[in-house]
Amino acid sequence: MTENLVAESLKFMVLGMGTVFMFLIIMIIVMNLQAKIVHRFFPEPEPVEPTPTLDTSAQAKKVAAATAAIMHHRNS
Amino acid sequence: MKLFIVKFLTLFAIAFSTTAVASAPAGHPEADRSEVKPYVSKGLGEMVVGFVQSTGIYALMNPDPDELNNHGEPMSDFHKSWGRVVMILITFFLFWLAIAKGFEPLLLLPIGFGGLLANIPVAGIAGPDGFLGIVYEMGLANQLFPIIIFMGVGAMTDFGPLLSNPKTALLGAAAQFGIFGTLIGAVALSQYTDIFSFTLQQASAISIIGGADGPTSIFIASELAPELLGAIAVASYSYMAMVPIIQPPIMRALTTVEERKIKMTTLRYVTRLEKLIFPIVVLTLSILVLPESTPLIGAFMFGNFLKESGVVERLNDTLQNALINIVTIFLGLAVGSKLSADQFLVADTLAILALGIIAFSAGTAAGVIMAKIMNMFPGTKVNPLIGSAGVSAVPMAARVSNKVGMEYDRTNMLLMHAMGPNVAGVIGSAVAAGVLLSIFK
Repeated sequence: MTENLVAESLKFMVLGMGTVFMFLIIMIIVMNLQAKIVHRFFPEPEPVEPTPTLDTSAQAKKVAAATAAIMHHRNS
Repeated sequence: MKLFIVKFLTLFAIAFSTTAVASAPAGHPEADRSEVKPYVSKGLGEMVVGFVQSTGIYALMNPDPDELNNHGEPMSDFHKSWGRVVMILITFFLFWLAIAKGFEPLLLLPIGFGGLLANIPVAGIAGPDGFLGIVYEMGLANQLFPIIIFMGVGAMTDFGPLLSNPKTALLGAAAQFGIFGTLIGAVALSQYTDIFSFTLQQASAISIIGGADGPTSIFIASELAPELLGAIAVASYSYMAMVPIIQPPIMRALTTVEERKIKMTTLRYVTRLEKLIFPIVVLTLSILVLPESTPLIGAFMFGNFLKESGVVERLNDTLQNALINIVTIFLGLAVGSKLSADQFLVADTLAILALGIIAFSAGTAAGVIMAKIMNMFPGTKVNPLIGSAGVSAVPMAARVSNKVGMEYDRTNMLLMHAMGPNVAGVIGSAVAAGVLLSIFK
């Protein structure tokens, strides 16, 4: 074996990890830039998620039922 | 005068090409005809003996000395007889893993059954004229199947979590250390010890298992080391299936309880336009930086673009379901065809399985460590548990991050946060694959 293969593979690693990091760092920069541009020029209203509104009396009944169940569980 | 010469030459060229075309098919039918043996009448006893000699059990007991493997090379008696029995038992083990343990059944079942068929004596199903051999040539030898799978995966991927927290892409980059770290280890062991001897190409193809991306592994293996394809594909897919077993101990060993309880801020809303232009942006980047990676990234982004466009629901649906299912069946069978005894029952396979798990673990560890490094800098903190999702294995690795996080804080939902590094890992391993390909070009 004439050439040192380990030295070769070390070069692979420097090149490979360097490229992967460079690529993804550029991607991060572009993503941030893209977000700024899109939000600046093409704003889109954030969809409001409908919050489930519970009838307060129904909620109170549920709490009572749960409490009763817990008490029953502890006592038994 | 000049015109005349040109005309003359053209005429000559046409005449020559037509004679070439005419002479080409002439010899063909004769060659085919000579292979068909004329029927010779035989006695019943002779016929019975002939039949017995063509049974599978006879072939397993008395290996045919002239039998060649699928590449037309001679193989040892062990690989023709007991080796096949051992391989068939191994495929039964794969069935058990898939059915009883639920390990990647979508792939292990086709791969296992392909392996079972490939080890049948006499029939030569995985040979150049057998149907598995044809399926292999059709889509795996030319890397078509992994590319189509990538389109489907692209159509299933949501870049939203990555777009709303871009810096988590660094975790996906760090996790690719598993690939290159293992490459050095494999080459060092090949050079300084006698345990195994892999060439640089073979070592590269093996270490890509650390990217935890089945299609990418197959893509690279069929390009750089087709002779190791079966073992690499099996290692890659079995480790992807074993993510929930392999990763948590590494994640726990490298993090403190406080770190595991870090809550991450809720993800911001990502607009549809952002998601729509992102595939094009990444593809443009890879065109500029690394055209070698564009087959994988291009197919991935094509699938994603169809999905995000929102106007081709039918195509999107086909990519995500029908097409990826069909190709998965063929891909599994084609990989299985490489599980024939003469190729799989060799010392190299054990080395590949061992190196593969090292690559996978190193990638997981590198992702977690990268998250800890990011936490040393000011800014919002990252839960190191999502670092392990930097290896691709979408979405299994992200689910594992979520599960381990929930063990320490029931209210800590890490799934969406982990999807960011997860999809970045897919891009990262495609880039790493592109780098390796460009080196050997």
